[in-house]
Amino acid sequence: MISSALLACFAVALSPLSMASGATAEFVNLENKSEHWSFQPVSSPAPPKTANKRWARNEVDRFILARLEKEGLKPATEADRVTWLRRVSFDLIGLPPSPEQVESFVKDRQGNAHESVVDELLKSPRYGERWAQHWLDVVRYADTHGFEVNTERPNAWPYRDYIIRAFNNDTPYDRFIREQIVGDALGEDAATGFLITASVLLPGQIGADDVSKRLARQDSLDEIVVNIGQTFLGLSVGCARCHDHKFDPISARDYYSMQAFFAGVEYGDRELHTPEADAMRTEEKRLTKRMSEVEWDLSRLSPLAKSGVERPPVNARVNTDRFATVKAKRVRFTIRETNNLEPCLDELEVFGASGTNVALASAGTTSTSSSDTVVADNHELRFVNDGHYGNSRSWMSNEKGKGWVVLEFAQEQIIDRVVWGRDRTAQFIDRLAASYVIEVADAAGEWHLVADSSDRVKFVPGENKASLFSTAGLTADEAKEATRLVDEKKKLERSIKATTEGRLAFAGTFRLPDKIHLLNRGDPEQPKDEVVPAVLSVLGSTKLACDTGEQERRKALAGWIASIENPLTVRVMVNRIWQGHFGTGLVETPSDFGRNGARPSHPELLDWLASEFIRSGWSVKHMHRLIVLSATYRQSSSTGGSREHRVMKQASPLSPVQIDSDVRLLWRFPSRRLESEPIRDSMLAVSGKLNLKMGGRGFDLFNNRGGLSGFNPVESFSGDGLRRMIYAHKVRREREAVFGAFDCPDAGQSTARRRESTTPIQALNLFNSRFTIEQADAFASRVKVDAGEDIAKQIRRAYQLALSRNPSVAELTDVQPIVAAHGLPTLCRALFNSNEFLFVP
Amino acid sequence: MNHHDGVFSLHGRHLLDRRGFLSSTATALGSIALTNLLGLDGLLAAQGPVIDPARPYAPRQPHFPAKAKNVIVIFCAGAVSQLETWDYKPELIQWDNKPLPGGPAVTFQGPAGNLARPQYEFRPRGQTGKMVSDLIPHLAELTDDIAFIHSLTSKSNTHGPAENFLSTGFVLDGFPSLGSWVSYALGSENQDLPAFVSILDPRGVPQNGSNNWGPGFLPAAFQGTTFSARDPVRHLAAPGISPEADRAARSLLQRMNSRHLEQHPGDSKLAARIASYELAARMQLSVPEISDLSTEPAHILKSYGADDTANPIKAGFARNCILARRLIEKGVRFVQLFNGAYASGGELNWDGHNKLKEQYDKHATILDQPAAALIRDLRQRGLLEDTLVVWCTEFGRMPFFQKGAQGRDHNPDGFTCWLTGAGVKRGVSHGVTDELGQRAVENIHPLYDLNATILHLLGLDHEKLTFEHNGVQRRLTNVEGHVIREVLV
Repeated sequence: MISSALLACFAVALSPLSMASGATAEFVNLENKSEHWSFQPVSSPAPPKTANKRWARNEVDRFILARLEKEGLKPATEADRVTWLRRVSFDLIGLPPSPEQVESFVKDRQGNAHESVVDELLKSPRYGERWAQHWLDVVRYADTHGFEVNTERPNAWPYRDYIIRAFNNDTPYDRFIREQIVGDALGEDAATGFLITASVLLPGQIGADDVSKRLARQDSLDEIVVNIGQTFLGLSVGCARCHDHKFDPISARDYYSMQAFFAGVEYGDRELHTPEADAMRTEEKRLTKRMSEVEWDLSRLSPLAKSGVERPPVNARVNTDRFATVKAKRVRFTIRETNNLEPCLDELEVFGASGTNVALASAGTTSTSSSDTVVADNHELRFVNDGHYGNSRSWMSNEKGKGWVVLEFAQEQIIDRVVWGRDRTAQFIDRLAASYVIEVADAAGEWHLVADSSDRVKFVPGENKASLFSTAGLTADEAKEATRLVDEKKKLERSIKATTEGRLAFAGTFRLPDKIHLLNRGDPEQPKDEVVPAVLSVLGSTKLACDTGEQERRKALAGWIASIENPLTVRVMVNRIWQGHFGTGLVETPSDFGRNGARPSHPELLDWLASEFIRSGWSVKHMHRLIVLSATYRQSSSTGGSREHRVMKQASPLSPVQIDSDVRLLWRFPSRRLESEPIRDSMLAVSGKLNLKMGGRGFDLFNNRGGLSGFNPVESFSGDGLRRMIYAHKVRREREAVFGAFDCPDAGQSTARRRESTTPIQALNLFNSRFTIEQADAFASRVKVDAGEDIAKQIRRAYQLALSRNPSVAELTDVQPIVAAHGLPTLCRALFNSNEFLFVP
Repeated sequence: MNHHDGVFSLHGRHLLDRRGFLSSTATALGSIALTNLLGLDGLLAAQGPVIDPARPYAPRQPHFPAKAKNVIVIFCAGAVSQLETWDYKPELIQWDNKPLPGGPAVTFQGPAGNLARPQYEFRPRGQTGKMVSDLIPHLAELTDDIAFIHSLTSKSNTHGPAENFLSTGFVLDGFPSLGSWVSYALGSENQDLPAFVSILDPRGVPQNGSNNWGPGFLPAAFQGTTFSARDPVRHLAAPGISPEADRAARSLLQRMNSRHLEQHPGDSKLAARIASYELAARMQLSVPEISDLSTEPAHILKSYGADDTANPIKAGFARNCILARRLIEKGVRFVQLFNGAYASGGELNWDGHNKLKEQYDKHATILDQPAAALIRDLRQRGLLEDTLVVWCTEFGRMPFFQKGAQGRDHNPDGFTCWLTGAGVKRGVSHGVTDELGQRAVENIHPLYDLNATILHLLGLDHEKLTFEHNGVQRRLTNVEGHVIREVLV
């Protein structure tokens, strides 16, 4: 009944089942581990001959067709042009075609119409934004550090932008690999963000004891090895951390030898040395200088403390306390009350007539305090006068509601102002000194009060919206000048912030490598012999001396991975590309080409594609072109059609669905639901609200970051919030509140292939969220602008925008009374939720 | 709303009928095809649970007959000191304020101080005479029903990784949580509510946030849905849309999708999405209903402490406890009930580094009466016959204070969790820590074993409940885990 070849196919597909269930002893004997198919050199098979000589458009099709013919299956009919256009648009750029693109393609009857479309799509910067996401899924990219604190990783995004750029530039894949492993040697600093995309414990989260530190270091090295193994090689190398790999020829020694390549890599920010970054540094210096001038002028205009003028309430950002000129050797800032918790100061500045901040540690000023809550790289006493603003460079006391800091100058100073804040970057408003006292002591040592909060308007949390500056008590001219300065200051703040972006990348720092030992059962407390950097012994013999320099190590590893000799590298990547187009790779387990993974459905095609990839100069775009222009890709996704039509051998009683229900043989195009990002992006594209700004820091999906109230989702988006979702600030573990439920990975572990599940929560989110309602309104407004007041025209336009087609007469008849009664947004909301909108056809 | 149910059901039924036909006539090959048809792409699909995408929460058979049908996990975030609660160490009284000879100089947070006696009096309780501290007098009354495990260990002494380890069996981020595994394996008895509900503490989210209820690489359907007596499920209703417009949009969508399905006959993914809107519509009715505690009689509110106007946090937690019971009553499979929030110097959870007694006085008041009332209430209603209640925390605390502080540092080497209810032996204490309560010394159980035991009570073999991810058949218990049979009936 079923051809023996097909049975064999399923037997192969099933073999991992028996492997994993424990009944494996016999199987292991059947095949020497190193004889596994994926470890063999890539062959260059000739495309097979097929009975049907007309169907194939390129070599890819001949492999697919030959297999279909062998199984007695026939390819599906060609999809209509609009279907293909929608499909290829979603696949390559993650957005639907505009009605105008549809119309022009349908009209274009030239022989190369399809090619032109593909060229356009591949040229579009939207392409990189779409395909970078697939890559970021695999490397579990996020903009936070993960684990319990899950704090921001503010300079992660240069790596995300690098990936987008690399796809858009069609960076040859071998170079792409090298850049991500050793980009510091290749002028692509941000690319090495790859090495450290994982969650990591920050210094303050690791135990103070050495055992905890050693374990944390091992964990962070492990993540690098795991990432290298699964991303480039499609091997679960990490399994060998505690014991030799159960299924693949990877020993624990191999594993630790691999670790040794990264023994000098640390998780951290690195200065970028691009011309842009250098220019920004210069610009920042200039702006900062101007800023201090402005602030100085401004603080001279703030009302004097204890002068009888009521001063503005304290605010979390910045407060000035001006007083009569006084000699000071020391300044004491005492907090008596906070709005909540232990007080926190991000910076304490003291100015004199000269206008320079004499409190800076760099000027020789020392600090002491009542007590400290130390969170390394966040809260330390030394941050109170380090010249850096923000919560992550601040001091915090260890007593609820109180605490003090004393600054002692190297020499006695003449001062007239203290400027202080909780968080000048305006991220935090807690831990604010609501009641405080400022005292100074001269060289003689006598303390006396110069300012306090008693003449400020009482601070009421959440009520007095901080006006940062009060013109009370100023003359008209002074007030005018003050207003001008406040405006300039705001502008400068924005400009300075802009210059700090993109100068640092969370791309790792490199130092003298540690010695790496083989660890018994993966336990850092049970070190065995030292190992040197060496590649997996089953696949190569590259081995370095133990004194090899840090960068040399990574270079050597990159060279071995990005080599045409490495049979895994190229196969793994062409399989990922294939998966991006058909939903499933030729190898169904894209990050496991080991013996526990699936076998390829079309091994010859996989190797042909691999060879072609190398022939093309490792061009990813070339592979896209081959695939999307193939007859295989152009097939209809319909499961329909009579059995006789689709199955050639009249003897077979089975329908194609029964022979190959999951369409691995590609007798039709396998349609699939869009992923989270293209759903959101497409809604915005259709509503006309999509903001195409590229690159830079991500927009926020959450109002606050972690802490007591967790991550509160933003519900209504505007401006940058309407950018493509790849530009969202990706919080590890916190799925976006609406689209996260559509199987969006949480960047905890690598996602080589997204699940496609269906849940009622998805339905609630997509049907009821404010995002949908707002975008449905925007969509309706856009349609009205395009189509005018005529309801039928509006409906037609809405269908064209959302579904790339006109409504049928029946649909029009159905929808018209609904739009008349409930308005156009009701139709738009339904369209956004419709299966036709949400599926790659 | 009923209006929609009828319309949507048509397609749900159609799908189910067709599936029923397929599965009843399935050959070996057919069943492989079927699992793929159902969108399960793990290689072990044929062996693991078969998820019907149209009814992801449909009840599924366990591996063997289960003792417990449902679970409530009371999760005390921040690491509750075993020495102030369940693990009586009289030796510590003599050693109070003396250095521990040969003890570590430095522990997680810094230098170690002197040994410190239990900060509360212990006294014998119930028939068994189990020594429990005065910190938790209400829960202490229940010891005759409880199986204590005093010898648990964790693989991490840091809250984040340790909460990961407790909830997912791995210290790293990104693995499926216990509740996700259970709802993936077993679905739920109630199709109108999520199969797995996580009820957050009124004070905020636990240390490790959504990792504790995340699906990891399991399908998103098995993520815990968070809500509490105070905070509703998101997106239950569309903002600013009239009921008429809402109905119109819903029925229009239904017709759009029906027409589309007609053009793509036999596409189970499309049919599943149609069914998901039907399920969602039912949730829109059932979730507000279950969260509405106004129907609870005064004596119930009082017994839980939900009427305690002087302590709104306690009252809030008590209301969450009542919600947990209501969910279990309705057949929800897995309820995670958090007590304690985020790291806050021990102010908002059990992380008593500095001022342990002062803080525990507050925390225990919030936990004790409501949690004890929940267990009593479950028992009174006969729900404890089918329901397993687990009390857990990510690790324990050191027998000595931290230097210069009145609190204890993290200790992953010996701590207590307990079970009660369905299938659990009553009034037993299993496993022992050393005489100072620092390390488990007898019947040592890494937390893997606790999770293996919970799965076992639900009729699941922790070694068989697997999911393929990046080349590894992942389990809740990694490659470890032994069922703790000594605490089972």
